[in-house]
Amino acid sequence: MFKNEEMEINLGPQHPSTHGVLRVKLRLDGETITHCRPMIGYLHRGVEKICENQTFFQGQVWTDRMDYCSAVANNLGWAEANEKLFGITVPRRAQYIRTMLNEFNRLASHLIWLATHALDIGAMTVFLYAFREREDILDMNEAFCGSRLTTTAFRIGGLREDLPPGFEKLVKKFLAKFPSCLEEYENLLNENRIWKKRTIGVAKLSAEDAIALGITGPVLRAAGVPYDIRKAFPYAAYAEMNFDVPTRTEADTYARYLVRMDEMRQSARIIQQCMDGMPEGPVMAKLPKILKAEVNEVYHATEAPKGEIGYYLVGEKGSGNPYRFHVRAPGFINLQALPKMAEGGLIADIVAAIGTLDIVLGEIDR
Amino acid sequence: MSDETLPQPSETPEAPAGPYVYDYAASPQRQVVMPKTVPLPSLRTYEAEVKAAAAADEAKWQKMLADFETAKAKAEAEGKEAPKPPVRPVPRKDDNDLKTPWPQEAKDDDLHRLQERLGGKVEEIFEQAGELTCQVSKEAILEALQLCRQDIALNYEMLADQTATHYPAATGFAFSVVYHLTSISRRKRLRLRILVPEGFSPESACAVYPSANWMEREIYDMLGIRFANHPDMTRILCPEDWEGHPLRKDYPVVGWGQRDIAFREDRGGMLERIALQKAGQLGINLKQPKAE
Amino acid sequence: MPIPTLTQSIVITLIQCLLVVIFVFVVVPLTVFAERKVLGYLQQRLGSTRVASGHIGITGWMNRGMWKWGRIPVLSYWRGIPGLVADVLKLILKEDIIPAKADKFVFFIAPALSMVAAVVVFAAVSFVPGVFFTFPTWFPFVGGLPVSGGIADINVGLLWILGVASVGVYGIVLAGWASNSKYPLLGGLRSAAQMVSYEVPLALSLLAPVVLSSSLNFAEMSKVMATGLPFWGLVPQIIGFLLYLTCGFAETNRLPFDMPEAENELVAGFHTEYSGMKFGFFYLAEYINMTVVAALAAGFFLGGPWLLPFGLQGLVNPYLPGFLSWFGEPHAIFFVVKIIFLLFTYIWVRGTIPRYRYDQVMSVAWKYLIPLTLFNLLLAAAVRCFAV
Repeated sequence: MFKNEEMEINLGPQHPSTHGVLRVKLRLDGETITHCRPMIGYLHRGVEKICENQTFFQGQVWTDRMDYCSAVANNLGWAEANEKLFGITVPRRAQYIRTMLNEFNRLASHLIWLATHALDIGAMTVFLYAFREREDILDMNEAFCGSRLTTTAFRIGGLREDLPPGFEKLVKKFLAKFPSCLEEYENLLNENRIWKKRTIGVAKLSAEDAIALGITGPVLRAAGVPYDIRKAFPYAAYAEMNFDVPTRTEADTYARYLVRMDEMRQSARIIQQCMDGMPEGPVMAKLPKILKAEVNEVYHATEAPKGEIGYYLVGEKGSGNPYRFHVRAPGFINLQALPKMAEGGLIADIVAAIGTLDIVLGEIDR
Repeated sequence: MSDETLPQPSETPEAPAGPYVYDYAASPQRQVVMPKTVPLPSLRTYEAEVKAAAAADEAKWQKMLADFETAKAKAEAEGKEAPKPPVRPVPRKDDNDLKTPWPQEAKDDDLHRLQERLGGKVEEIFEQAGELTCQVSKEAILEALQLCRQDIALNYEMLADQTATHYPAATGFAFSVVYHLTSISRRKRLRLRILVPEGFSPESACAVYPSANWMEREIYDMLGIRFANHPDMTRILCPEDWEGHPLRKDYPVVGWGQRDIAFREDRGGMLERIALQKAGQLGINLKQPKAE
Repeated sequence: MPIPTLTQSIVITLIQCLLVVIFVFVVVPLTVFAERKVLGYLQQRLGSTRVASGHIGITGWMNRGMWKWGRIPVLSYWRGIPGLVADVLKLILKEDIIPAKADKFVFFIAPALSMVAAVVVFAAVSFVPGVFFTFPTWFPFVGGLPVSGGIADINVGLLWILGVASVGVYGIVLAGWASNSKYPLLGGLRSAAQMVSYEVPLALSLLAPVVLSSSLNFAEMSKVMATGLPFWGLVPQIIGFLLYLTCGFAETNRLPFDMPEAENELVAGFHTEYSGMKFGFFYLAEYINMTVVAALAAGFFLGGPWLLPFGLQGLVNPYLPGFLSWFGEPHAIFFVVKIIFLLFTYIWVRGTIPRYRYDQVMSVAWKYLIPLTLFNLLLAAAVRCFAV
């Protein structure tokens, strides 16, 4: 007499909470998700192909536009991969400045994550609070390299310019007020019953699954695996920095929220250390005018805010272009876990799962 | 475009027969320069190159010496002043911070363990720029991955990245597929590499590392390598009906699937005129939509 | 006092209806504007400022004044008020799109249904007990006649309110179904389940005033609740007020219970496919419903037209000195101020807390709210039995 049917529904590509043009095909039994298949590629621009047809230097502007929320981290990975390919040693002052800017960028990226994730779950005030602090960081980006979002901050071999005068004052002002801002967000969310109900136990991903699926970044650390590339394979000036890797064992959305909040505190700590121990000296290595590669292949991974961002470069002898330019985008790999996290949950949970993965479609589709 | 501005038949260029096809060769963006070399890093090739370069250097030096001898003999015979003896040229030292990382002998235990366990299936091991590379035969890749995952001494838990490169100039293979493994517990990275000819389907890594799922789909989408026993071998970034594989070296930067009339290039309106004329021949009115 | 003829009383009733409609259509746009401004204030931004005139109208006058006063008028708080007119104009002039496969009649009737159900509730709401005002004798046709504080002073006013308000859910369910689209369908189903569930605790929480005042008449109830209760009557009322407010939030689909239109999950829920003035009707209905819930809360729990809430008025009144006697009498202005305060609470809550998940909303209703309202009813009965 009664027919039991599952309903197929498209979440996206035009949807308020898919953070861009992600399309997820859902099969629903009532409101429970029985099957979930993410479909990507709506923002595919062929970044890898374009970079293969441009010189080593020109590739940087494309890395900005992959994950536009964390452009500096992408620039850093790109610059270090190129330096590994050519065998360049970067001056120590440049390393420190890079580290500091990278941590600022981590703050900006985590803030935008917090803002959008909270908005997805319905807490709209956190959104604007987080954007307030992000604005200061973007101002610092602007002071350093003239551009706010797509920074193109570094050069192969170091930096184009030293820090501008007065930058230290900006940093000091920011560091003085940032801890109280973090407390403000936590006051709104940490002990909020509805926030806890919406996040605790939602979108779980065990450590075994996370490692098998190649998940990196805060999502992995919230499952109890203390894998942070800044500690495991130190790069830039991270070997000289003193910081902790925050981990949780609950492996749910709330744990990921706490991990990211703690990471922001650690980032502020690293920035403070960079400011205190900033060495003097040049900021650019001595390089020939034109860089010609030798036959070589490198894979260099750095810890972007969203996870491990890896650049795979193949150099051709005597050529100024990379023969192969490949990006291991953290969002691309992390999104593979979405079916595992969302299946069996409700529609509201997949919104939380997408938010907690912290995806940026520009980087997933490249 | 109003009727006055429509081209008169005498002015219009000859419309090509058949469906309108963009002239790829005419567009500078669609021209493809095929690579001439095979930039596949390898210790063996490097040693051979170094040996060849040393031999060429030596031959050049011998030739200079011989030239000098003949010149000296000639000068002696003619009673002139003897020419200066040649100086062996020293490679110029650049004053910069560039230290090109060359391939080196494998010193790491992991590479030797792999070679010991896999025997003849390992084609080459070397280190370069601090990265370990192990090239295995294309049939043995699944075995090698299983060994890396399960062996206690190796214990590479995570497949961080998998990608491929197109080498159209190579003989015997067309692609290299690289697997970047990470050992979280031992803080090590390893690169496995296989060389794959056109049309060969290597075994999928999904059985050992589930994270390979989307990466292999991306490789198939971008380079056209099909993986055997993959759970879902479909395109991932391009649409299902996309023509060609964009990251191959014979694929133009402005892709085949992109629209044929590049309006930015069409400053004089020539292409639009051709399109209008062609549409007119086919009986399609492009100017006014039909009242349906 | 002259006794009105039938025609005269009909005319007076029509005038009352007109007054209520004017009240509703003044309060609703101002609530929309206040929502923007209050949210902006909570979130450290300016709220709506774009549609503002620098030269003419109220804002122009204020701007010029501020320039004269030596202040930069950018932060003038009333900037953005012309946006209300612009909003309404946009809604009226916008193209009205009906999806090709929608059920046209139901699609048309649904917004009207929720709008009508929302407005008709006001028939039983009494703004002030007794006579609101008397027409002056020179007034044509109805001169010298009194106008009472509510349109219909019916004995079963509460039943009318609950009954008509629950018709509003049909508008939402039918809208979701008639759109022939998946997200509206989910939104409609959610609202059906949610509203039916929350009707129960809502009605139960309103039973406490009924028990305490032994009446179903709005004016009578609000009078007893404001003045006629002993000290112990406070306890069930405060609990009942919070419970009622929670259920009221759920009934009006406001955060944290805005399941049917959770924009981050269901795009826009039941009104995804609506545009133009049909959407405008849903929009209006939501805000009118908010006003209704606020009016009921103000009338039953906050003392209605009396100044002090929770029966405190009755405790204070005997000790009021003569020159403060104005504050001891009922006035419509107190009632309206209380409604406005409750509307502000809606916006305040929206800016502060996140959204529940659908199953959690249901469990809150059935597992927590219904037992609590029953307990509250027990308390009220005890107070009624022993204290009154």
